[in-house]
Amino acid sequence: MRYGPIIGAGAMFSLACSWAALIMAPQLQLGALAPAPIPNTSDVHPAARPGLAAQGADVYRSLGCAQCHTRQLRQDALLFGARLNDLGSNASTINLELPTSGKTNLVNLDLLIALAKARPDLGIQNVTIPPALATDTNAAAALKQFAANLTLLKQADNKAGIVRPTTGATVNEVVAKRPADILVKVGPDAAERAVKLLTDSGAKAELVIYNLGPDVERGWGARRSVARDFLNDSPVLLGSVRIGPDLASIGTRAPEKFAAPWKAATMNATAELEHHLLVHLYNPRLLAPASTCPSATYLFDKQKSEVRFVGEPLALPGKDAPVFPKHNARALVAYLLTQRTDISLPEAPTPAVVKPTSPPAPAKP
Amino acid sequence: MTTANPSSQTDCTAAPSAAEVEASCRLPVLFLVFSGVAWLLAGATLALLASIQLYHPTFMEGCAWVTYGRLRPAAVNALTYGFALQTAFALALWLIARLGRVELTAPLGLTIAGKFWNIAVTVGVLGILAGDATGFDLLEFPPYAALPLFVSYAFIAAWALVTLHRRTERELYVSLWFVLATLLWFPWILTTAQSLLLCWQVPGVVQAIVSGWFGNNLLQIVLTGSALAVLFYFVPKTVNRPLANPGLARAGFWLLLLIGGWCGLSQLAPVPAWIPAVSGAANALVIVPVLALLVSLWQTAHGKIGETWKSNATFRFLLVAAVLLLGVTLRTAFFSGHWTQFTFFAAARTDIVLLGVFGLAALGALHYIVPRLTTGEDELPSEGLADLTFWAALLGVLAVGMGLSFAGLKQAVGASVNDNFLEYAVTGSASHLKQVTVGYGALAIAALAFLVNFALAVRRCCLACCGGAR
Repeated sequence: MRYGPIIGAGAMFSLACSWAALIMAPQLQLGALAPAPIPNTSDVHPAARPGLAAQGADVYRSLGCAQCHTRQLRQDALLFGARLNDLGSNASTINLELPTSGKTNLVNLDLLIALAKARPDLGIQNVTIPPALATDTNAAAALKQFAANLTLLKQADNKAGIVRPTTGATVNEVVAKRPADILVKVGPDAAERAVKLLTDSGAKAELVIYNLGPDVERGWGARRSVARDFLNDSPVLLGSVRIGPDLASIGTRAPEKFAAPWKAATMNATAELEHHLLVHLYNPRLLAPASTCPSATYLFDKQKSEVRFVGEPLALPGKDAPVFPKHNARALVAYLLTQRTDISLPEAPTPAVVKPTSPPAPAKP
Repeated sequence: MTTANPSSQTDCTAAPSAAEVEASCRLPVLFLVFSGVAWLLAGATLALLASIQLYHPTFMEGCAWVTYGRLRPAAVNALTYGFALQTAFALALWLIARLGRVELTAPLGLTIAGKFWNIAVTVGVLGILAGDATGFDLLEFPPYAALPLFVSYAFIAAWALVTLHRRTERELYVSLWFVLATLLWFPWILTTAQSLLLCWQVPGVVQAIVSGWFGNNLLQIVLTGSALAVLFYFVPKTVNRPLANPGLARAGFWLLLLIGGWCGLSQLAPVPAWIPAVSGAANALVIVPVLALLVSLWQTAHGKIGETWKSNATFRFLLVAAVLLLGVTLRTAFFSGHWTQFTFFAAARTDIVLLGVFGLAALGALHYIVPRLTTGEDELPSEGLADLTFWAALLGVLAVGMGLSFAGLKQAVGASVNDNFLEYAVTGSASHLKQVTVGYGALAIAALAFLVNFALAVRRCCLACCGGAR
């Protein structure tokens, strides 16, 4: 090659390709991302940080916390389940106790069949009623229908080659205790089918989700981090090495899920978490003796300083005298308290969300 | 001159002699080399101090300036901008002058621009220690350091390109392809990243994508490319044979430019899934150009490797750098997925490319260039110090690379265990991190040994010139 400009042009073309693919395309995809409204509230996620927390973001950057802590939770898989919440009431729901006894023992006969269809591994027992109830025309009709459905179910089982166990749990027992997890950690199709079967029988059932992976199981957060979580961050400090725990959700983490677990002593969990984080900043080894986190004693005053708003002194565990957190320490903690992944997003739902696939079936006439 | 090459015949009349070329290089190249290796010493020392804090958290406790979160980025940026890029400029200038048979344009201007580069790096490192880091990997210098850095680079690159344009040897040798590509690539990626991150501030995780893209391009194209420029010049030179397979080298060069820029984003979590997937594929594909380039070099040196290793101080560095290049490429291709995410294993790539692939290749080249520019001899004054530099640098790179890699593998295993993250992933890797400390120490010793050797050469040179005055 004799001509430098050819190499220059080639290099520019190569770089332009990688720029278009890895800078422009993500910007086109993510550039218009907006905070998601939180259902049933007027809030959005991610919320704009209050002033102190915004200053804390600057302390986080300045001290290089991101060198050791990531703020990106991972999740291996998203699986589904079906949960039965209530029997519902319709024509096939009958009371097995005598009306005069004052007790109720409702059983939804359609639900038993539906559950048997959803769970071929469970046995099903016939339902018997006290002789005194045999004259109740409603119950008798429902039982007759149930017997017919049971025969149809047996035929379907035989056709599909399903052999139900005669011992162990039966659908009758599973239904008796609610809420009952009907299916756990299955694919979306199986879970949706089960929920549809159950809701069609008049019962109240919901689709539940399971976020799986070590990060979630370790209690670091309810779901994976997604692009939307970082809309209010600039600079976006994701971190790339976990020399310490992930902080994506530290503001909402349960006390027992910390490296140094503690039990909530009062009702004010946020104040306790704030205290915990301040002590951790002052000296991490007061809480977790094995911690390798450097202590940020420079964010605290030993003596009450002359500034106007000193705030409460920080009581330290052990024999140490209380210290006075400086403004930056309080700001950093305020910033950490805004870290949360407990809010369900369309692209990353959290298990707390109740999401029925279809409205409950109307009661059968 | 044969009649088969009429253009070089006409150029030959204007071509300066080798002595004139070297004279024009002397001041800027020696200045950049000295400052570069001095930054290697400083950066390795900072990294050494930072690595101690990883397993000894009370070390240098209680001062915000030297907390790990500031010391580590200061070290990495000092090594990147102070050592690696500065040395790369020195090598680029020397290769352009040497291969183009041309005197450097504006040697004094280049020296002054180099001086400003060093001031900017110093300001940047102090800025990080003072808490003004931007927070983006390999781009941590605050704006007040990044801007002067870019301006001084613009002058260095402009004069380098003018020199290249004035070359009397029109044919561009493989090394000059790499030099030219990296000289252009660096300002492009730097301006793209700085403008998107510091001026316009793209929203959300796109910032993380931009900084990851910049970091990868810096390592995979600019620094690896500079190392390859050195390898392609010095391997044929030291084994005394022409380059065996220029066609393969050409294919490797273009493919590296095309594919290399796509790697490096394979471990971002909160981004659309196609980005890590595309990047992971590029990580695997980039094996092809790297292999093509290395095979071309291997064919050149084949059969004379053992002999040259013993006789030539430069070749030892180059051989290790080439092996490390292959190693780091395979390692990134096979282990850069989900499994090693967020561990030291992935982070070690920066150290291996910076100090191993580029660092060793550059130190090797300097053992050839520095004596020729100072004493005019073929070797540096002290053979013992040259040996010390090699073995200490080799030990340092291996200790850092392997220490971080094994610590990372331990973390990766620990990360999949639910309970007691602290024990599995943090305190459990202390023994490997101690190796890393030793490694940085060895690298600092290597830099010191080279600087002493350099000083001896300069002293001998001065004595030869004006020894009578003393």
